[in-house]
Amino acid sequence: MLTYVVRRLLYGVLTFFGITIAIFLLVHSVPGDPITFYAGSHGPSSLSHAVLAEIRHAHHLDEPVLQQYGWWLRGILTFDFGTSFIDHRPVTQRIAERLPNTLILNVIAFLVAAAIGVPIGLWSAAQSGRPIERASAVTFFLLYSLPSFWVALLLMQLFAVRLNVLPLFGMTSDEYLDLGGMMKLADRARHLILPVITLAYAQLAIFARFSKSALTEVIRQDYITTARAKGATNSAVLWRHGFRNALIPLITLLGITLPYLISGSVIVEQIFQWDGIGRLYFEAILTRDYPTVLGLSVATAVATLMASLLADLLYIAADPRIRLEAR
Amino acid sequence: MSDVRGGMWALTWRRFRRSKLAVIALIYVGFVSALAMAAPFIAGSKSTPIPFGPNDVDVAHRLHPPDAQHRFGTDELGRDVLARMIHGARVSLTVGLLATIMALIVGCFFGAIAGYYGGVADWLVSRLIEVVLCFPLLFLALAIVAFFGPSIWTIMIALGLTTWTSEARYVRGEFLRIREMEFAYAARASGAKDSRIIFRHLLPNALAPVLVSASFGVAYAILTESALSFLGLGVPLPTATWGSILATAKQFIDYAWWLVVFPGVAIFLTVAAFNIIGDRFRDALDPRSE
Repeated sequence: MLTYVVRRLLYGVLTFFGITIAIFLLVHSVPGDPITFYAGSHGPSSLSHAVLAEIRHAHHLDEPVLQQYGWWLRGILTFDFGTSFIDHRPVTQRIAERLPNTLILNVIAFLVAAAIGVPIGLWSAAQSGRPIERASAVTFFLLYSLPSFWVALLLMQLFAVRLNVLPLFGMTSDEYLDLGGMMKLADRARHLILPVITLAYAQLAIFARFSKSALTEVIRQDYITTARAKGATNSAVLWRHGFRNALIPLITLLGITLPYLISGSVIVEQIFQWDGIGRLYFEAILTRDYPTVLGLSVATAVATLMASLLADLLYIAADPRIRLEAR
Repeated sequence: MSDVRGGMWALTWRRFRRSKLAVIALIYVGFVSALAMAAPFIAGSKSTPIPFGPNDVDVAHRLHPPDAQHRFGTDELGRDVLARMIHGARVSLTVGLLATIMALIVGCFFGAIAGYYGGVADWLVSRLIEVVLCFPLLFLALAIVAFFGPSIWTIMIALGLTTWTSEARYVRGEFLRIREMEFAYAARASGAKDSRIIFRHLLPNALAPVLVSASFGVAYAILTESALSFLGLGVPLPTATWGSILATAKQFIDYAWWLVVFPGVAIFLTVAAFNIIGDRFRDALDPRSE
């Protein structure tokens, strides 16, 4: 078991280097160098060749590729992602400012999706073979196939335009600063509703499908047949033996859903003008703010790596059978 | 399993056909494909059934709600939404198909190497897959498309390069299973080269689960292409795409409901159809289903 944990951690370190190499190579294969693009955006010939060479030197862009990678990697390992081309502030600081907004949105959406999706999934697995089970399977599929930006537009049109009960976009109202304490909280909550629904519905389908197949898998096991043969009632079999074992694989969802969440954040934050890291990334892409793009790419990929590592370790902590297998 | 007339594919097809939903989805995909292929003959000029081209600007009729002349209304430049949607189907289906073929090629290549040779090759491919899985796909796709210039080709490459991992894992798993089978030994014993064994003997037998994953792949590619177009980083304007019509819809969300509803339904139905086909196809291949 210890060797498994150590091996998993070592693979994690390898994956980390793989991630940095992949991102570095991607950005390096972009035609034209960032300084030229940046200088060009300030109007032609606004900077002399000498100045450009100086900037290149300061960013190590005149050194061999391998050395450039070394400089960049050293920066990452010390949490120094460089400074933004746009406002010249440290990328780490820009990410740190926006992160709480993304977290609020995603944590709430994640909890809503889990709280609704998991019970629905378990329930529909328990209905195995009945028409309602097949109908719910199709419903999950349809939910999963809905484009999130379309759902966002429909929600905006219905609740913000037609019914005019919720704000169209933004994180707070214009008069937010004049509101009292409780009203401030209510205002923020009102702005959260539509983005949360947009983020949550597809995850809900993923949760439901995943927990459904987990329970279906458990029900096929011999010990469930044994429990039934002993004469345990259906509900006892499901509650005592089924659900508890079906919940264990859900831990792995932690690692699987994070990249989906981050991808979804770009779309949702852009539509609802929510100042999180998804929107920061999109703005950075459009303005070719390379340090911010690089920093956010590394940060999100490493976050996903950590989440899947954590999920794996939790998984073997929760399930003794795996501990035995992995030994 | 008593009835095995016509081999595995015929059996799979008979099982697949049993699902009404799957058949409807298949018919729908055929219908949209036909529309896409015949787009210039359906909506192109005065003499076609829909007498508007996708880029016929008519500022006098801008943002008109659906009526007898413009069945799905017009956009902010007075272009016919139905004509643009029929031409948009070409983009969606082309990108979906090409991106999936790309993912299939990359995925089959890595999966076959890992599954056939095992050992170091398998280890390396597994690490590579772990790295790719760490990236939020839309992040990567956005960066590739933005930095290399938005076009149907960069979108295809961006999607192909980021979505091959599930195909690779399926091929690897199948190869591990079938490389020990007698026909594989027979091929090896008769002195066939590795490349011949992989492509002529093993890959055709490993294809079924890969095609399931490819069907989901088409759905995902169409969804992502329309998201990229919606964000303004898809196939460049004025080419009509479903996603770019929705981007316009966002600007006029106050009243132009037809710009929201029709292209959205088109994306949804197409994505759902490919997902359903993949799901039922998987069920049909599963020997455990009766």
